[in-house]
Amino acid sequence: MVKISANKNILSKNDEIALRLRKLFEEKKITVFNFVSSPGSGKTSILEKIVSPLKARFNVGVLIGDLQTDNDARRLRKCGADAFQINTGKGCHLDALGIEKALNNFQMDDLDILIIENVGNLVCPSGFDLGEDFKIVVISVTEGDDKPEKYPIMIRVSDVMIINKKDLLPYVNFNVEKCMHYAKNIKHNIQFFETSCVTGDGIDDIMHWISEKAQVKAE
Amino acid sequence: MISFIKDGMHEAGIAQNILDIVLDTAEANNAHHVVKVYVKVGSMTAIEPDCLAFAYDALKEETIASGSTLIIDEVAASGVCNDCKNRCDYDGYIMTCSKCGSFNVELLSGEELQVTEIEVE
Repeated sequence: MVKISANKNILSKNDEIALRLRKLFEEKKITVFNFVSSPGSGKTSILEKIVSPLKARFNVGVLIGDLQTDNDARRLRKCGADAFQINTGKGCHLDALGIEKALNNFQMDDLDILIIENVGNLVCPSGFDLGEDFKIVVISVTEGDDKPEKYPIMIRVSDVMIINKKDLLPYVNFNVEKCMHYAKNIKHNIQFFETSCVTGDGIDDIMHWISEKAQVKAE
Repeated sequence: MISFIKDGMHEAGIAQNILDIVLDTAEANNAHHVVKVYVKVGSMTAIEPDCLAFAYDALKEETIASGSTLIIDEVAASGVCNDCKNRCDYDGYIMTCSKCGSFNVELLSGEELQVTEIEVE
């Protein structure tokens, strides 16, 4: 019997494609944001609020993942977004291959920002790199302030956490400081935003943050 | 069975890549049978060793690795504290310095995912 040294890193097939996407986005100077959350946290509602103002300064494309229907893409197109739906069928997450195929919907040379709204799922999307620059996790105040503790893998791979539906705080048992504390325990430099799509609170803040990040790559 | 695994499990893609590396390495060294495959899987990769072994066993059929055993070395998460420079292991996803309690730590191990060596005949 002979021992042969290999010392080869194992990238998943998804990671290989994600690497390719990352290089492409770098070359075309496109800043990519991957929004993740449980179903119903408010990803689409947040995007409905920010896409229009972002479009005033940047060329924005949106890709939305759902098992079925193009309801979300239609909602975003009503707000003037160049939004396209990816239906995964049974798939519980978007993957790099799906994103790569969907890029045919855009003139890549003209695109400045690509926003990806992932399938509502706080587990599986954490393991599938889409070539994004930033991952934004959305948690709504109706989900319990210990959500970060229960889903640490997603928190660990996120750059920003948006605490959404803050207009409902008077009616729920949700301690914002506690939630942020749990998240910081897992990702010490995660950034926070608190938003309400009903009152408009915090929407400008997240929009400015996205603009700033997009500006960096554009230069 | 194979398509069920490929559609259903995150570990399936990883197992396929392991098998590809194994077969490439074996071929490059004119081996006829692969007997053992040694992999390092860091605890922070969120890869279930049992699922990985299961997927590998299903995928290796009808290759020169069909008789091989996947030996998984699970690597614990460890790192260094950026505040007090203490090195320690971390339990789970909450990584705090065992000396000063800071969360400002840098991971040095725990994210490995590699085929280290294979045994052939």
